[in-house]
Amino acid sequence: MAEKKMKKETASKKKEAKTEKTKAAPAAKSALAPMTDAKNARVGVFICHCGTNIAGSVDIKAVEEYARSLPGVAFAANYQYVCSTPGQKIITDAINEHNLTGTVVAACSPRLHEPTFRMATKMGGLNPFRFEMANIREQGAWVHMHDREGATEKAKDAIRIAVAKASLLQDLIPKSVPVEKAAMVVGAGIAGMQAALDLANAGIKTYLIEKSPTIGGRMSQLDKTFPTLDCSQCILTPKMVDVGRAENIELMTYTEVESVEGYIGNFDVTLRRKPRGVLTPAEAEARGLVGGGCNGCGDCEPVCPVIKPNLFEMGMKPRKAIYIYHPQVVPLIYTVDFDSCIKCGLCVTACGEKKAIDLEAKDEFVKVKVGTAILALGYDMFPIEKKEEWGYQKYENVVNSLEFERLICASGPTGGHMVRPSDGVTPKKVAFLLCAGSRDNTGVGKPYCSRFCCMYSLKHAHQLIEKIPGVQPYIFYMDIRSFGKMYEEFYYRIQDEGARFIRGRVANILEDPDTKNLIIMADDTLLDRPMKLEVDMVVLAAAVQPSSDTDRTRKLFGVSCSLDGWLLEAHPKLNPCGTTTAGVYIAGVCQGPKDIPDTVSSAEGAASAASIPIHMGEVELEPYFAQCIEEKCAGCGMCVNLCPYQALALVEKDGRKVMEVTEAKCKGCGTCGGFCPGGAIWMQHFATPQIIAQIDAFLLGGAK
Amino acid sequence: MREYAFFLGCIAPNRYPGAESASYRTAEKLGIKLLDLEGASCCPAPGAFGSIDLDIWYAMAARNLVLAEQMKKDIALICNGCYKSIWEVNHKLKHHPELKERVNEVLKGIDMEFKGTIDVWHLAELFYDPEIVGVQKIRDSVKVSMEGTRIAVHYGCHLMKPRKERHFGTTEHPTWMEEMVAALGAEPVEYRNKMLCCGAGGGVRGYDIVHSLDITNEKLINLKEARVDALTEVCPFCQLQFDRGQIEIEEKFGVKYNLPVLHYCELLGLAQGMSPQELALDLHGISCEPFLQKVL
Repeated sequence: MAEKKMKKETASKKKEAKTEKTKAAPAAKSALAPMTDAKNARVGVFICHCGTNIAGSVDIKAVEEYARSLPGVAFAANYQYVCSTPGQKIITDAINEHNLTGTVVAACSPRLHEPTFRMATKMGGLNPFRFEMANIREQGAWVHMHDREGATEKAKDAIRIAVAKASLLQDLIPKSVPVEKAAMVVGAGIAGMQAALDLANAGIKTYLIEKSPTIGGRMSQLDKTFPTLDCSQCILTPKMVDVGRAENIELMTYTEVESVEGYIGNFDVTLRRKPRGVLTPAEAEARGLVGGGCNGCGDCEPVCPVIKPNLFEMGMKPRKAIYIYHPQVVPLIYTVDFDSCIKCGLCVTACGEKKAIDLEAKDEFVKVKVGTAILALGYDMFPIEKKEEWGYQKYENVVNSLEFERLICASGPTGGHMVRPSDGVTPKKVAFLLCAGSRDNTGVGKPYCSRFCCMYSLKHAHQLIEKIPGVQPYIFYMDIRSFGKMYEEFYYRIQDEGARFIRGRVANILEDPDTKNLIIMADDTLLDRPMKLEVDMVVLAAAVQPSSDTDRTRKLFGVSCSLDGWLLEAHPKLNPCGTTTAGVYIAGVCQGPKDIPDTVSSAEGAASAASIPIHMGEVELEPYFAQCIEEKCAGCGMCVNLCPYQALALVEKDGRKVMEVTEAKCKGCGTCGGFCPGGAIWMQHFATPQIIAQIDAFLLGGAK
Repeated sequence: MREYAFFLGCIAPNRYPGAESASYRTAEKLGIKLLDLEGASCCPAPGAFGSIDLDIWYAMAARNLVLAEQMKKDIALICNGCYKSIWEVNHKLKHHPELKERVNEVLKGIDMEFKGTIDVWHLAELFYDPEIVGVQKIRDSVKVSMEGTRIAVHYGCHLMKPRKERHFGTTEHPTWMEEMVAALGAEPVEYRNKMLCCGAGGGVRGYDIVHSLDITNEKLINLKEARVDALTEVCPFCQLQFDRGQIEIEEKFGVKYNLPVLHYCELLGLAQGMSPQELALDLHGISCEPFLQKVL
């Protein structure tokens, strides 16, 4: 205890000393936090070996010697792992022993350990923003692994630049903002539903947004789930009903996110409710039609003269222009497809007294405020017709797996009677092509593993054997990836049931024009010989890809994606549900292919992460705000229009106009600071003198 | 008139001289002047040379490329095997500086240097390219319409594949040559497994003739099924396999097809009014007579 007290005392003494020094700073900055005078700077440099990650290709000793020679450096040290507890202690001790004014850690990317070292700096009694990181691992040792000399020189450069900035750093105080006690989940498949239920059960008001007319997503299209073989709808519908009933969930189907403004704790989201053409009982009541609105009776459907393919059934069943996807939809409200409706009005007549149908409905925009948001945007099937060699959409009896699911599902277009499309005959020989468009480096398909196709194809084989006596499933595979709990056991079970496994990718499929049978040409890589096989039907386990809306929606929320389009997590191992945008989280397949158990786990993880800021009640924002140097501001207002975040405004002060920053809205992008003709905008932590010092340090070899 | 250095190859001038003469004359009618590429050698055959020593293949092809570089003309050619060698080596040398250096080391011995200043084109793709010739111009040049005939197309593997190293887009179900057939008034015919190999390429014909003919036979079965009057291709080696291969198939398997096989340039020559004699069609292994009777 005594020791700690002592440290605090020395720290506060030091601060006093600093404030005195900075009083001499130019009057223009007097309103701002004190900035160290470079001449009095005492910077400590801590060089990390990161095991052999850095030390393997950087001469640590030479770098340390160099650091010690730099102007403003009062102390330099190296350590195996600076991020470890003893490593951090070196920093805190050195701050006190050497009376440091700033710290530089030369190690990994600031995205990894900036918070760690800021905390260590704070523990030593300095303001945490007096810390600067030099990335000598990701941008040094790793990319110049075979160039020790070059990597060492680059590390010296990086440290020199960081020291130049650290010599001029200011004390900054983070700002706390209150968090709106509401959350939003975009996408109401199983991931979105689970996340919304968890948030709602934790007492948080949750807006659940779904672009389709019903919730349930892809899982509601599936017949059975592996490896337990329970009916997908049977385990899903109770959850759908829960979502529909939950008091804390405001379900908004047939709705898309239009725009997003704000920041963690305070997102202002504009939603576009697409014209459904049918009123819910609540909406009807709001219009004064008590007892009216859609009750799902379905009287409207038979009279509608327009026939369109039902996309829920993969287009294999017709629907009308006024429709529901399937009998278990939530909410049970019909939808008018205005793209095909001819406005004949027959449905309006059939609906009668309920007066639920409004054929003049238009887009409606709704604004809601939420503290955090979860994206659960799901997936689409890869358009497997692009792999032309397999003849999807060219040969009638080549289907994709989702079509197979509908064909074998009791509520599907054939009532669960497995038949092939060309002639309605029950197939006796069925081939499954795994990795169809996945693990594909030809440039046509996707390079990644879609992860759940192996398992559902095994399940498909089982379902065939169960339903059709004498059927022979053939599974063409590259590897069987039965990675989950009880999955490997399921694989053995299907082998025992008699499915045949052929290791090899199918080169080509031909159709017999008379029988519409399919002739498969493949390479059996276990027997090392080419093979030819005639089957009745082919099922392509097509790759999955981000759903069509993913790109638009992720941009609204400022979430990045990886090369393949899946949303980018904050850290692939340690923060899989977070994103680089504070307050926005991701759940389910939109982060990368997942089966149902993994999807539900990730949804629960995202819900937990999204509830933390809401339960904390307030969040700290990094203090990288723009500041107006009022003495210099001419009140021209140019910056106000430039700001992409509407964070700036002109206000009256002492009889003249000056700019004022709403700090919570400012993202520190620097657009205004770079533009201001009078140099009246001070970008905290990225201030002009700091940046110039960095550039000088790089080009001139350091300020003298 | 656009000018190209015409890389003849070996099989066209030696086995199907009509394809050679037709190329000069049809191209000229479509605004392309083919110039002789003097001193050119074998491309060399990609299967035969490439599978034994790639460096020899690179160096010999590079020598042919340098001849055209010296003329400052792009190369046009009429054989898929040549296309694989000349186009692909040009592409590889342009994109792999180390390989280029190695090849230039060899070329130094004959005072040559590969610079990478020209492009290589199959005459068929120049014919199809609307910026150069285009289907409409082909249609306009037709004097003898082939109306009433059913013609199938064989693209050939080396022209289209490997997909990543070509620029034709779809390789599984292309239809651009069918468009060029339709331009002559004929009906282009789809048949089963259109993109299957002719059976000759990659050294298969030289190594295992029975296996090679077995593949050809399968194609011929599929073509017969589609009731075609003739098969057209853009590769004299494929032509050789389909045409003279039918005689070998008859000898070895006892099956007779009598399917006329014509290089697209020969077909186009006919349509533009060249006589069967000018096209040396009598030198084909399988008589073109039944087809000619339908056309002329």
